[in-house]
Amino acid sequence: MQPDKFYYDNKIVRNFGIATVIWGIIGMLVGLIVAIQLYKPEMNMHNQYTTFGRVRPLHTNAVIFAFVGNAIFMGIYYSLQRLMKARMFSDVLSKIHFWGWQLIIVSAVITLPLGLTTSHEYAELEWPIDILITIVWVVFGINMFGTIIKRRERHIYVAVWFYIATFVTIAVLHIVNSIELPVGFFKSYMVFAGVQDALVQWWYGHNAVAFFLTTPYLGMMYYFLPKMANRPIYSYKLSILHFWALIFIYIWAGPHHLLYTTLPGWAQSLGVVFSIMLIAPSWGGMINGLLTLRGAWDKVRDDVTLKFMVVGLTAYGMATFEGPMLSLKQVNAIGHFTDWIIAHVHVGALGWNGFLTFAILYWLIPRIYKTELYSKKAASFHFWIGTLGILFYAIPMYWAGFTQGLMLKEFTPEGMLKYPNFLETTMRILPMHVMRSVGGAMYLTGVIVMAYNLYKTAVQGKLVANEAAEAMPLAKLNPEAGTERWHRRLERKPVLFLIASLVVILIGTFIELMPTLTISSNIPTIASVKPYSPLELQGRDLYIREGCSNCHSQTIRPFRSETERYGEYSKAGEFVYDHPFLWGSKRTGPDLQREGGKYGNSWHYNHLMDPRLMSPGSIMPSYDWLITQKLDTTTTGAKIRGMQKLGVPYPAGYDKIANQELDKQAKGIADNLAKDHIKVKSNKEIVAIIAYLQRLGTDIKAGKTANN
Amino acid sequence: MKPIRLIFLSFFVLTIAPAYAEDGSLLSGETMNYIGYGAIMLALITLVVAMYVVLKAFRVVAKILLGPEGLEEKKVDKVVLKADKKAARAERINKMFSLKPLSEEKTILIEHDYDGIQELDNPTPAWFMYLFYVTIAFGIGYLLIYHVFGVGQLQDAEYRTEMAVAAKQKAAFLAKSANKVDENTVKLTTDASVLAAGKSIFQERCAACHGNNGQGMVGPNLTDDYWLHGNKISDVFKTIEYGVQSKGMPTWESQLTPKQISDVANYVKSLHGSNPANPKEPQGTKMADNDGSASDKEAKAKTAMVVK
Repeated sequence: MQPDKFYYDNKIVRNFGIATVIWGIIGMLVGLIVAIQLYKPEMNMHNQYTTFGRVRPLHTNAVIFAFVGNAIFMGIYYSLQRLMKARMFSDVLSKIHFWGWQLIIVSAVITLPLGLTTSHEYAELEWPIDILITIVWVVFGINMFGTIIKRRERHIYVAVWFYIATFVTIAVLHIVNSIELPVGFFKSYMVFAGVQDALVQWWYGHNAVAFFLTTPYLGMMYYFLPKMANRPIYSYKLSILHFWALIFIYIWAGPHHLLYTTLPGWAQSLGVVFSIMLIAPSWGGMINGLLTLRGAWDKVRDDVTLKFMVVGLTAYGMATFEGPMLSLKQVNAIGHFTDWIIAHVHVGALGWNGFLTFAILYWLIPRIYKTELYSKKAASFHFWIGTLGILFYAIPMYWAGFTQGLMLKEFTPEGMLKYPNFLETTMRILPMHVMRSVGGAMYLTGVIVMAYNLYKTAVQGKLVANEAAEAMPLAKLNPEAGTERWHRRLERKPVLFLIASLVVILIGTFIELMPTLTISSNIPTIASVKPYSPLELQGRDLYIREGCSNCHSQTIRPFRSETERYGEYSKAGEFVYDHPFLWGSKRTGPDLQREGGKYGNSWHYNHLMDPRLMSPGSIMPSYDWLITQKLDTTTTGAKIRGMQKLGVPYPAGYDKIANQELDKQAKGIADNLAKDHIKVKSNKEIVAIIAYLQRLGTDIKAGKTANN
Repeated sequence: MKPIRLIFLSFFVLTIAPAYAEDGSLLSGETMNYIGYGAIMLALITLVVAMYVVLKAFRVVAKILLGPEGLEEKKVDKVVLKADKKAARAERINKMFSLKPLSEEKTILIEHDYDGIQELDNPTPAWFMYLFYVTIAFGIGYLLIYHVFGVGQLQDAEYRTEMAVAAKQKAAFLAKSANKVDENTVKLTTDASVLAAGKSIFQERCAACHGNNGQGMVGPNLTDDYWLHGNKISDVFKTIEYGVQSKGMPTWESQLTPKQISDVANYVKSLHGSNPANPKEPQGTKMADNDGSASDKEAKAKTAMVVK
């Protein structure tokens, strides 16, 4: 039999590589800007489009979906072809995939600063873009599976198992978390509300980390690490065990993002125990990687790509141990909502995702350009400044997290909060925020040096766009194949493999989501909780547009330190009309769930205009554009109709009179402000957002819990 | 010993950094902050540089002390020693992690390769499996404790316990201290230390709405003859303690101690008739200074009882 001659497509790999570097620099630069805004609010350039609440999601989307996303596709398109001994299934689909993905990112770059957001973290993009993501993801899936089907290698290697799991799980996550009802071309409401919406979002959010930031990178590690070190993978058995354990257990752990909220206790406990059980399966990947380097440690000293790999794997090990520790409720009580979490995710993102990406780029670009790396010294510089950058980033953030977390919980012997003013704790940690931006700048410097180094490498070589390869076509199945172990058999049936992974991730999904989404007793209702008035609803959408939930939570945990500070702790029934929920995940400022009635309208007016007027030293940006911009009331009817469809009990025909009601309430607030010598027209945006803030958390004061 | 001093200095600077952020009596808070940031940066950079310099210096010193040959000799010795140590350590590590020695690797190499990548047929390390089993056992135990046997407290119960414990501690503390004062026992005073304490609380908490001199901004003027919620010291105390929800006056009950409320109430009373600049127009009803009519002496005598 003659071997088949064919060509690997290196051009698509190169394109994804370029996109990785460019978006990486942009995403990290935006990150640096928002980090500086946290101690210098003027860095928003006095412009609503570049203010923290709107650009922080831009940072997260750019680094996750643009930087890491493109890096995943680069790694998969390179390794998949070689592991399957086949060119990508279709060049056209590859191109559609590449340009489609870039289009998604560009639309994110446009819509997020405009304030078009669903407010779901890491899924902020509005419904038209959600549809585009689905299409491009399916294109990717067809292209990947097409390649697998026409492979010249009987069994699929562990790297590809991880790619398959990534594809199928992200598809499920994205679709379920994007079930939303459009009420305009760029506005939609989440179908689920309150606790249910929170559970879906964090099931998604947690598993986006698992299946976008972890599994594809483990797959790439399994291909590129043995290639770089020229060593066999340490243990095939460990690969099998940790792959299945990882994807099965990971999907359950989402509720650890919602500890001490109104999520039912049993769901919280499942989140805790599955997080703890996740330690070993996560470490399985690190162990298999580090032990693969046995006998090659002398290479690590000289080879910068291996250095990046080792630090990356170590960061992965640290982050996957810290994560389960943070999900123990005693630890979570201190760490949640503080900078500790920011430190935790950045050890993972900068260390694991960043360093693995850099290692792969340094290894792969010279190979597809048939040349040597332009400067090893520059790469080595990148490694050291990157590592120092991570330390300078993480250590101050841990410090800040502990400091603030403990300060907020401290009481005086008289039984008073030691730091009743939230701002006091914020001011204390500002120096740490300055240092972390220095750490971030160091890391970014390294990436820019890498970009230059790779550019010079590319220029001195020549792209092998189509790399010649040959392999024997698949022979008839060996009769001995029937005696293979079960997993070995599964490895030659990719479609079955896909279905098996799907079933494994759906088990946890169903057991955790279904009861909360369907059994009403899990969410005790409260009779006095009423739907938002039209003006409040519009104000709420402004709150979403400005991204307030990036810094302010709306869920009070049942701790003495929180009920003393914020008031009565949250009840599940209070959120039943919250499409979407706005609990937030970080308290850069205080919680706002019981903000209603705490201050007068004029306080809010002045505070939004310039927070430093009312709270000297505040790091909240000024929202003066809310005073000049007119509230768009043309959408009110559609929004009310949308809410009615989602089961919010507005009376029939209310959409027709909603704007009259809105005007009446707005006039009342404007008149009230006029009493304090504040002249503002009732049709301005600020009136709506004040109305919403004054409503927050007031409903249960009007009545008692129906179902205690 | 300069580097060591530098290291100490940098730690010192790091530990006092929060103080910089807090207290800015000489320079403005912001300037102090920037000095603090600068000091921290500088200290960290110095630390890195110092470590590098020390390392280099040791190398040079070693060269001078041992001479070039001596250094080489040492190096050779070291290499031999290192190799021995390395072998011993490798064996220890192999044992600890239940690894097969590298020399036996060929026997467990799986024949197949993927694009040149081979796999070994090592068992999953025993300690790894123990770790996994222990976490699973923890998980089962956790669910049993919290959801089957009901030993562990879920969050609502946990909250009730926390509050009960806090209430007990608070009561015990207050019983021992002279801090007990409420709207019925509060007394008017012009004692300078009380007014000073009241003033500092006022500046921190009240000035944002009532103005630095109590002239009124969002909140009403506190210096004129007009009052919305009564002008007796007990009225002022009550207004501060419980707030006036409808008008945006927050409750301070949980943020100020009774003694602090009493101090600030007295300070507010002392502002009467101070005629500050830019006063807000009067709100409420005109009231005579009823309990202020008591003579200073009398007030002082009463204060002594309150404060002590």
